[in-house]
Amino acid sequence: MKIRTFRYFVKEAVKSMRRNGLMTIASISTVALSLFILGIFTCGVVNLDNLASNLESQVEVSVYLQDNLTTPEIMDVGKKLKVMPGLTKMEFVSKQEALQRFEQRLGDQKDMLQALDGNNPLPNAYVLTFETPEQVKDTAATVTKFKGVDSVHYGQDVVEQIFKITQIIRIGGIILIVFLACATLFIISNTIRLTVFARRKEIAIMKYVGATNGFIRWPFLLEGVILGFIGAAIASACVWEFYLFVTGEVQNSLAFLPIVPIVPFFYKLAGGLFAVGILVGAVGSAISIKQYMKV
Amino acid sequence: MIEFNHVNKVYDNGAVALQDVTLHVDKGEFVLVCGPSGAGKSTFIKLLSHEILPESGTVMVNDMDITRLKKRKIPYLRRRLGIVFQDFRLLPNKTVFENVAFALEVIEEKPSVIKKKVSHVLELVGLAHKANDLPEDLSGGEQQRVAIARAIVNNPLVLIADEPTGNLDPNTSRDIVDLFKQINNAGTTVVMVTHDMDIVSYLDKRVIAIEEGRVVSDRMRGAEYRED
Ligand SMILES: Nc1ncnc2c1ncn2[C@@H]1O[C@H](COP(=O)(O)OP(=O)(O)OP(=O)(O)O)[C@@H](O)[C@H]1O
Ligand SMILES: [Mg+2]
Repeated sequence: MKIRTFRYFVKEAVKSMRRNGLMTIASISTVALSLFILGIFTCGVVNLDNLASNLESQVEVSVYLQDNLTTPEIMDVGKKLKVMPGLTKMEFVSKQEALQRFEQRLGDQKDMLQALDGNNPLPNAYVLTFETPEQVKDTAATVTKFKGVDSVHYGQDVVEQIFKITQIIRIGGIILIVFLACATLFIISNTIRLTVFARRKEIAIMKYVGATNGFIRWPFLLEGVILGFIGAAIASACVWEFYLFVTGEVQNSLAFLPIVPIVPFFYKLAGGLFAVGILVGAVGSAISIKQYMKV
Repeated sequence: MIEFNHVNKVYDNGAVALQDVTLHVDKGEFVLVCGPSGAGKSTFIKLLSHEILPESGTVMVNDMDITRLKKRKIPYLRRRLGIVFQDFRLLPNKTVFENVAFALEVIEEKPSVIKKKVSHVLELVGLAHKANDLPEDLSGGEQQRVAIARAIVNNPLVLIADEPTGNLDPNTSRDIVDLFKQINNAGTTVVMVTHDMDIVSYLDKRVIAIEEGRVVSDRMRGAEYRED
């Protein structure tokens, strides 16, 4: 195909998008909304995955002690912990220290601690560091049964919870997206059907003066692709803004959560959204071309 | 150039449009097709342009059996034929110039060539001054001339015209017929449907008469009869 023919096709496609007015706006909005939701779900899943693998690779375990232990009892637990296999580092964090650290982590929001009225709800704890995440798991199982140990906390037990949440979001997202994809396909193919209908006379005449089927179909296919492209552009811009806003909020209030940085993650996501948008646009118009244009 | 062999055409509603039509048109000939309304003249032309297919028989154009043409080859057949349709088939939202240029755009001709060729044929049919008008702003005869311009702009092997003077006054009709003669003299085969007897006698060319779907006479100029 020659470049000027392609230009001619684009011109024809744009002309008919103008002529379709409301339908064009409706299809672009539908594509944009669907892709925006797809983008948001992807952001959520990617961040939860990131969080999970972050926790999974942690080799630290916190052993919280019961509140009423005497100093010798605390030392006792410490002695037993010291011989755990694979241990590389062991640190005792007292109630007071824990509170100080928590205060630091809260940053601007340390006013919240005033609600405690001077009580310290945090327990004494040993923080152990191991060589591998597997050793953490084994140790945790044993240590929970030690006398004087209240509970054991480490990344992996949260991981399973996160994994469950991710699964739910994935499945919910897939169902929603399949539904939205169908709606999008439907509305795009409808728009193209209108175009085909508006130009049926022109199509017939093109045939009689010797236009090939490809030549006749291209502008219609392009119209669908352009609809998908514009929808994807809008969706990408919205996802960008949304991600910046939400991650900003999260960083303010839950600073310890690891967040996937927007760049370069967003480039991949936007690439995906554009690919899906263009594909849906092309398939949507192909459906109508096949159904309504006997060439 | 054109050969019909025992062609039969029956429409879906049972209307018998052509029966056992056999005829032959040589390269460079100028042939008139006459007959009363409903005789099957347009059907004859639609068979040539592959708009419809016969129930039986073969239609040859330029030594090619077009009844067995592959679907994707049809556009290439039509590019070799210049067809003036009885109902013009102009695009309502394109100007006269754009309508004629359309036939060249579909074959991806260069814009400079399109401009030159279109201006030339519009000059030929006397519509250069209406180049930027829309078809709806033209008279019937002017629309017909646009259709003729579009048919000849791509130097067709055969110019096929279905009543190209149907909407014209006698003087304009003569002009158009003279234009066809000129195109024919340049070597293009011309097949022209008409039931205007003035034109038939004015042109004095071979006449194929069709009645009720049959070729009832095939007369070379000067009343000589031919049957094959
Ligand atoms: N699409 C169609 N479906 C059914 N019957 C048709 C169709 N087109 C034509 N016919 C019938 O076939 C016969 C021949 O029609 P055709 O159009 O070839 O006539 P014609 O000689 O061109 O007439 P006119 O001089 O009025 O243009 C007529 O009886 C007509 O009713
Ligand atoms: Mg007719």
